[in-house]
Amino acid sequence: MILALVVVTALGFDFTNGFHDTANAMATSIATRALRPKTAVALSGILNLIGAFLSVEVALTVSNAVVRIQNADGTPKESLTTDGGTALLLIVLAGLIGGIVWNLFTWLLGLPSSSSHALFGGLVGATIAGLGWAGVNWNGNGTKLDGVVGKVILPALISPVIAGVVAAVGTWLIYKATVGVAARFTENGFRWGQIGSASLVSLAHGTNDAQKTMGVITLALIAAGDWTDTKNIPFWVKAACAVAIALGTYLGGWRIIRTLGKGLVEIAPPQGMAAESSSAAVILASSHLGFALSTTHVATGSILGSGVGKPGAQVRWRVAGRMVATWLITLPAAAVVGALTWYLGNFVGGVAGAIVIFVLLLAAATGMWLRSRHAPVDHNNVNDEWEPVPASAPAPSEKVAL
Amino acid sequence: MSNLGFALEGAWKVLLAGLILGAGLPAVFALGIRSMAFGAGGDAEVDHAAPHPVGRLVAYVLFAVVVLVALLGITYIVASGFGKTISFEHVYPAIVDK
Repeated sequence: MILALVVVTALGFDFTNGFHDTANAMATSIATRALRPKTAVALSGILNLIGAFLSVEVALTVSNAVVRIQNADGTPKESLTTDGGTALLLIVLAGLIGGIVWNLFTWLLGLPSSSSHALFGGLVGATIAGLGWAGVNWNGNGTKLDGVVGKVILPALISPVIAGVVAAVGTWLIYKATVGVAARFTENGFRWGQIGSASLVSLAHGTNDAQKTMGVITLALIAAGDWTDTKNIPFWVKAACAVAIALGTYLGGWRIIRTLGKGLVEIAPPQGMAAESSSAAVILASSHLGFALSTTHVATGSILGSGVGKPGAQVRWRVAGRMVATWLITLPAAAVVGALTWYLGNFVGGVAGAIVIFVLLLAAATGMWLRSRHAPVDHNNVNDEWEPVPASAPAPSEKVAL
Repeated sequence: MSNLGFALEGAWKVLLAGLILGAGLPAVFALGIRSMAFGAGGDAEVDHAAPHPVGRLVAYVLFAVVVLVALLGITYIVASGFGKTISFEHVYPAIVDK
C-alpha cells in the first residue's frame, strides 16, 4: 500500500519535473517565435520521452550522494527494511512530497527553481527527521566530489557562471560574425540553429532527469521486497517515468517559460541560439565529467549570459536576483517540507500515516492549481510584453508581487 | 583533496569544453550565415554587394561542420545511455565501453 503511494508520488514528481523544466530548453525558442508555443512543448515532450528511454544506465544510487539510506551497491540499509521497508518508504515518500510541493510553489510564482534540488532537499529533510543529522551525507568522504556540498551546493554556485560566460562569449562572437548581414537573413538562419540546439537540450534533459525518478522508484521496490536486481530497472518503471516526464513537458510550465523567455532578457534569435548551445554544451560536458548539475541553473545562466554578450541589450537583474534567491532557499525549503511531512506521517504511523500525508499532498497541489487559475499563463499569453503590464493579462504583476 | 578542489578541477574543464562547443560552434554557424549572405549578395547584405558563388560553398562546409559536431553530441547522449562513451583516442571518434 505504502509502496503504491510512493510509486504514484514519484511519478507525480517526475511530472512536475517535466513541466517545471520545459522552459530550460524551449523558453528562448518560444520567446523569439522560432517555434509556436504548442509546437515547442510537443517537440520537447517527444525528445524528453526518447531521452528517458535512452537512459538505461542504472541510477539506483542517485540518492546516495546526499542521504545515507542505501549501501554502496544500491540496496537499502538493512536497518530500514526490517518492517517490510516501511521506514525507508516513509522517508522516500516524505522526501518526494517535499520536492513536489516546492516545485509547485515555485511554478505558481513563475520561478525556475531546480527540480533536482527540490528532490534532494525533500530527501535530506525527511532523512534528518527520520534518521537524524548523521543520516545525511554532507561532505562526502574526501575521495571524490560527493555529498550535499559537492554534488548540490558547489555545482549550483559554479554552473550558472560557466554557462553564462560561455553564452556571453557565444553571443558576442555571433554578433561580430554577422555584422553587415541583413537582419531578415540572419533571423531565418538562427531560427534553425535555435531549434536544433534547443532539441539537444531537451534530449539531454530526458536522459538526465527521468533516471533520478527511476532510481527512486526502484529503490522503493527493493525496500518493499518486490525487486532484487540492483543492476537493472524494471521496464514498466522506465516506461512510466518516461511517459510522466514527457506529459509534464508537454503540459508546459507556461509561467516559468514566460519568466525565462521574456523576463530576464529580450531575446533575439542569435542570442537564443547562443544560450541553448551553451546550455547543451555545458550539460553534456558536465555529465561526461561526472560533474552533477541542474539543467535549470545552466539554462538561466546561459540566458543571462546571452543578454550580457549582446551589445546594448537590457538585462533585468532584479528578476535574476529573485531567481538566485529562490535557488538558495530551494534545498532548505524542500527539506523543511520533507521533514514536517515525515514527522506527521510518523506521528500517525504506518499505512494510515502514509495515506494522510498523501492526501495532504493532493490538497496542497489542488490548492496551488486553483490559485494559479486566478492569473493563468498559457500558450496564448506566454509572449506578452513583460512591462508595462497590459490590463488584459494580469499574470505578470501577480508574479512580480513576490 | 577537498570538495572545493574537486569542483574547481571539474569546473575549468567544463568551461573549456563549453567555450569550444557551446560558443565556438554557434560562432562557426554564424560565419556560415555570413558566408551565405556573401554568396547571395544583393538584399542579403547591408551593402548590397554582387553575389559571390564561392560564399555559398564555404557556407555549406561550415554548416556541415556544425551538423557533424551536433550529431556527435547526440551520439554521445545515446551512447552514454547504453553505458558507452565516445573516445577520441585515435583522433576520429569511436564508441567504446565506459
